[in-house]
Amino acid sequence: MKITVETNSGVFDFECEATDKLLYAGLTRGLTLPYECATGTCGTCRGRIMQGSAHIDWDQAPGFAKLKRDKGDVLMCQARPSSDCLVRVPAKVVARSGCGTLPQHRTAHIDALRKLTRDVVHFELALSRPMSFEAGQFVVLEAPEVKGGRAYSMVNFGREVDRLVFVIKQKAGGAFSDWVFRNDIAGRTVDVFGPLGRATFHPEEGKNILCIAGGSGIAGMLSIIERAAKEDYFRDHTGHVFFGVRTLEDGFYLSELCDYAAQMEGRLKVTLALSHEQSPAAVHPEFPHIRLMDGLVADAAQQTMSGRYDNMVGFVAGPPIMVDGALRVLIREGRLHPQFVRYDKFS
Amino acid sequence: MTWKRVCKVTDVPENTLKKFTVDEVTLLIANYGGGFRAIPPLCPHMQEPLEESGVIANCALTCTKHLWSWDLSSLDMLGETERPLQSYEVKLENGDILALIDKELVYEFEDEDDIKDDDFFSKA
Repeated sequence: MKITVETNSGVFDFECEATDKLLYAGLTRGLTLPYECATGTCGTCRGRIMQGSAHIDWDQAPGFAKLKRDKGDVLMCQARPSSDCLVRVPAKVVARSGCGTLPQHRTAHIDALRKLTRDVVHFELALSRPMSFEAGQFVVLEAPEVKGGRAYSMVNFGREVDRLVFVIKQKAGGAFSDWVFRNDIAGRTVDVFGPLGRATFHPEEGKNILCIAGGSGIAGMLSIIERAAKEDYFRDHTGHVFFGVRTLEDGFYLSELCDYAAQMEGRLKVTLALSHEQSPAAVHPEFPHIRLMDGLVADAAQQTMSGRYDNMVGFVAGPPIMVDGALRVLIREGRLHPQFVRYDKFS
Repeated sequence: MTWKRVCKVTDVPENTLKKFTVDEVTLLIANYGGGFRAIPPLCPHMQEPLEESGVIANCALTCTKHLWSWDLSSLDMLGETERPLQSYEVKLENGDILALIDKELVYEFEDEDDIKDDDFFSKA
């Protein structure tokens, strides 16, 4: 199917199979179509179909809330064309060449599964074709048994890697996480679309690093810390990681975070914020390089970082409400320039 | 066009935004330290209520929902912001903030050059 998009910066054409989504097909062709979650929740990838028609995968997607469906508004991440389409997209879009890093569909099979806590699983995918991606990026996973895609950040990063590492938190009513938790899924095949997201770490910027993550949002932070550690970045820069969970028992990857903090000898500080439990001590009983605080993770970051935002880049990932709170802290308290605040919202 | 009294200068502390309604026109007064701006209440990006999502720091107003940002002293767009912020002219008189309100400023899609006759941005 031929898709024509009219944008605020010109008109572009691309091909989209009936099985693919308008957003994904456009991104694969190098168009910088607007998106954030790429899975129907945020509403950023809105477009208006002026001619033609499309099938909507997730009709109840929260991202439709502000759209005028009677006028043809669609979430491009949920729209599969059933004819040639003319779509208006109210954003500036450019066509770029990706040097091998443009998002694509790949198949992968689930290779390693390890339960980290009562509701968190570490799992790895073996890719059909290698993928290059930055620390902090994510992909959309879709399993044949589960309707719709889910966005997950990789814990790892690299050039031409053939394995993606993820952490998945079980959510009440979350179809994909239920599938992961309730089934013996080792060896099953999933579709992987990515890499996506611009919440990426660039060592050449020379900034101190502040990471604020809730739950499985820690995945992207781990890839950022790993990359920084590998490049000896903390020799000249500081790092702060604030990781929000409900209770002490809900923490995960603490061994890895504690090891990084120990290796960096005070240049990297890690704080675990407990929102639903009083912390038993000032530091974690098992991981002495992890400090404990009570309350919401954005509040913990605000209290700790006051007056320490010099030359900082902020990374934020987690549930939307947590991300919104953390962004306010970074802009209002930290007075960071929006250019140096990067975030992913997952719901 | 007439100047209309919106509030007292002291009603809006530095680096805050506050919502007022004047003759059925709802607007926000923003105090950015170097002065005041009177702006429509919604972000021109995705209609977020700026009274809640907006943060003022370093003379810039940033909508913390998607980090669109404007320099309040020059009204320049910052970073990846794609639409200008509209504003009412403002003056201070005897400790009051007055805004020049002719008609309510609303973000319409007609403002865009390339895409006309569309109300993509208008309020549902």
